[in-house]
Amino acid sequence: MSQLALELINLKKSYGTLEAVKGVTLSIKPGEIFGLLGPNGAGKTSIISIITTLEKPTSGQVKIFGYDVEKDPMETKRRIGVVGQEVVNSGYFDVFEILEFMSGYYGILKNKERIDYIMHKLGLYEHRQKKVKQLSGGMKRRLMVAKALVHKPTLLLLDEPTAGVDITLREDLWAYVRELQQEGMSILLTTHYLMEAQELCRQVGIIDRGQLKFVGPTSQIIEQFSAKKIMIKLRKDRESMAHKTFLKKKDGFFEFQIPSQESMGNLFRDLSLTLEDVEDIKTEQGSLEEAFKQIVSK
Amino acid sequence: MVALWTLFKKEVKRFLKVMMQTIVTPFMSSFLYLIVFGVSLGSKMNDVYAVSYLAFLIPGLMMMGLMNNAFQNSSSSIAVMKFSGDLEDIRVTPLSHHHILIAMGLGSVIRGLTVAVVTYLVGVIFYFMQFNSFLGISHPLVLIYFVLVGGFVFGLLGICIGFWAKSIENMAAFTNFILLPLLYLGGVFVSIETLPAWAKTVSSYNPVLYLINGMRYGVLGVSDEFFSMVVKDLKCFKIYLIKF
Ligand SMILES: Nc1ncnc2c1ncn2[C@@H]1O[C@H](COP(=O)(O)OP(=O)(O)OP(=O)(O)O)[C@@H](O)[C@H]1O
Ligand SMILES: [Mg+2]
Repeated sequence: MSQLALELINLKKSYGTLEAVKGVTLSIKPGEIFGLLGPNGAGKTSIISIITTLEKPTSGQVKIFGYDVEKDPMETKRRIGVVGQEVVNSGYFDVFEILEFMSGYYGILKNKERIDYIMHKLGLYEHRQKKVKQLSGGMKRRLMVAKALVHKPTLLLLDEPTAGVDITLREDLWAYVRELQQEGMSILLTTHYLMEAQELCRQVGIIDRGQLKFVGPTSQIIEQFSAKKIMIKLRKDRESMAHKTFLKKKDGFFEFQIPSQESMGNLFRDLSLTLEDVEDIKTEQGSLEEAFKQIVSK
Repeated sequence: MVALWTLFKKEVKRFLKVMMQTIVTPFMSSFLYLIVFGVSLGSKMNDVYAVSYLAFLIPGLMMMGLMNNAFQNSSSSIAVMKFSGDLEDIRVTPLSHHHILIAMGLGSVIRGLTVAVVTYLVGVIFYFMQFNSFLGISHPLVLIYFVLVGGFVFGLLGICIGFWAKSIENMAAFTNFILLPLLYLGGVFVSIETLPAWAKTVSSYNPVLYLINGMRYGVLGVSDEFFSMVVKDLKCFKIYLIKF
């Protein structure tokens, strides 16, 4: 059996003539948080729908802990928990009932303990007797997360779980996701909050118009595709400092932008500066956001 | 098995939550039919194969209510789930298609059965008031068979239509132009033996006719040429099963 939690092999999906996913290959190791990032319409939801069997791939393969989603859907579905992008509005039942039914669909008859635990974790416990339409948008999102967790999945798929969730709740949710990871869960998430993805995901994949542009460690992508800023204030202020990486002068600081992997020493050498000349120095690391923009604009 | 049971339970709970629509409304319509046709008009009608018109009408209404409600139950459940996005919840879980069909079919049977029982009780009360005697059930096993078959077949039909319908209008169109004519012309109000020959021939192609007569036989012990029809009815059922 394969050691990978999720494996996409040359996955393609077309809707009519539109090629939404153009041969994506990537894998997620058990216990890893993987961020699938991309602009609107990149194909993220399409990929997730194929993993959960809501859509059939046009070609290619998806394996979950070695099981093929098309050949062994019962085995793969049991292992997956999914939070969809669209908010679901089931009208008749309250939060607890919905979670109870969800457990039942996964074959778990008595699941009150687990359901209570999850509701506490996600701040839904006080709202357990409310119907979905009585919940606020953020609570609905959390209910969707709760639904995905009742059966203790080993692979969790989160399609923009924090859209419309306020900052504190977002932080709480990500903290919970990290906790789940520590318990051994493998997690694939999509989000447009790149700062949060940068903090959370060890590995990322960047997809644009169906094409996977980059996949690998987050630190590597930042190094490769973004620049760091160095701001230097001199003891004896000068009019200007000529250098190809010079950006601007602001509040007495000269700003330079150099590739993330470049060393600061080289800049000092080029400018023939010594530490004696420097009054103050600030640096700003490159971000995933910058790297993302670099990659997607190409 | 747990999954199937859960979905079944959910289907039953769902219609119990909207009891006003799912039980009280059918109760009202049975009540009105029985008052208007059974009690008022019925007293002026000839007996049909040696039973009073009221007695003739009761099993017909029971079966009509059963089939109609079984259909409404699964079709509206599917349609609502489809339009609200709920259906995806079920599709990502390890519930097989067979489980879904069986659970929803059985949910429909329960809803249909509830309506049939309510209709029967109202009927029995009217019958008692008119004839001062109790309308019993002649062949309980036959009755159970037709409750199961009628409820399940129409439950499955509802699932098909629920999936097929692109909008609520689609569903209403199916109900008004196909389902209700079949039900009303299925021999609920008149015995087809009283119809002209051509109408008899047309009616004999209506599967509902056999189900209604089956129920009538189950309750009263008499019906339109029943035994030759039971055979046809079984064939009908097979056709339905193959279709789904
Ligand atoms: N059911 C469908 N039928 C036809 N086209 C579709 C369907 N679903 C998605 N698409 C198209 O496929 C492409 C990828 O869509 P997808 O929903 O996978 O993007 P996404 O990366 O999830 O975007 P977002 O960030 O906006 O959620 C888009 O061009 C979209 O219009
Ligand atoms: Mg999407």
